[in-house]
Amino acid sequence: MSSRRSRSRQSPGSSRITEDQIADLVSKLQRLIPEIRNRHSDRVSASKVLQETCNYIRSLHREVDDLSERLTELLASSDTDSDQAAIIRSLLM
Amino acid sequence: MKTPSNSIKRRFALKFLRTLVRIRKSTHQPSPSQSSTWEIRRRAQRIKLAAYSSMARTVGSKRAWSRALTMKLRAAMGNRPWSMIKQESKKMTRRKLIAKRKRHMEKDLNSGVQELRRLVPGGQWMDPLSLMQETAHFLRCLETQVRVMRSIVAEGEGFPC
Repeated sequence: MSSRRSRSRQSPGSSRITEDQIADLVSKLQRLIPEIRNRHSDRVSASKVLQETCNYIRSLHREVDDLSERLTELLASSDTDSDQAAIIRSLLM
Repeated sequence: MKTPSNSIKRRFALKFLRTLVRIRKSTHQPSPSQSSTWEIRRRAQRIKLAAYSSMARTVGSKRAWSRALTMKLRAAMGNRPWSMIKQESKKMTRRKLIAKRKRHMEKDLNSGVQELRRLVPGGQWMDPLSLMQETAHFLRCLETQVRVMRSIVAEGEGFPC
C-alpha cells in the first residue's frame, strides 16, 4: 500500500491513473454494482465499471427522491403513534 | 475494503426515524389534503435532506465523503437550494476538464473518474485511489439508506389508514 502511495502523484488535482490503480478500482467496484454482478462477466473494462458506478449512484439518488415523497404522504396521513411504534419495532428486531 | 456494518443500518434507522417524528410533529395539520403542492414538495425536500444528514451523522467524521456531505448539508439547511451546492464544484471541475482534454490516451477512464468526482461528496479533492475507496463506502451507505427508507415506506403503506 505504501509503495503505491509513493508512486502516485502528489497533487490532488491529478487524475492520471496507474496500472495498479486501475486493477484495484475494477476489483473493488465491480463487486458492488448489481448491473455488472448479475451479468456474470469476468472481464469488465475499468471505464465500464466507472460508468455503471455513476449510473448506479444516480439511480439511488432518484430512489431517495421518490421514497422521500412517499414518506411525506405517509407522515401526513398517519395519525396514530402505534403505527410508528410498530414501524420502529419491525425495523430493529 | 471497509464496508458499513449492520450497526450503521441500525444507527441510521434510529436517527432517521427520530427526525421523521420531529418533522411530523412540526408539520402536522388537521386536514392534510389541503396542503399545496409546494408544501408537499418542501416537506419531501426536508425528509430527503434528513435522510442524507442522518447517514452522514451516523458515519460521522470517519470518512472523507461523510465530512464533505455534512458541510454540503449545513449550507443546504441554511436554505440555499440543494442544486446550488452542486454548482459550486463546477469551478474546480472546469480547470480539471481543461487538463483532461490535453490527455487523449486515458480519455474514457478520466471522464469516468471526472463524473465520479462530481457524484461522490468531496470527490473533487481526492486522489484516484482514495476516490475509489470512498466511492465503495459511500455506495454501501447509500444502499443501506435506501433499504431502510424502503422498509419504512413498505411498513407505512401496509397499514390501512
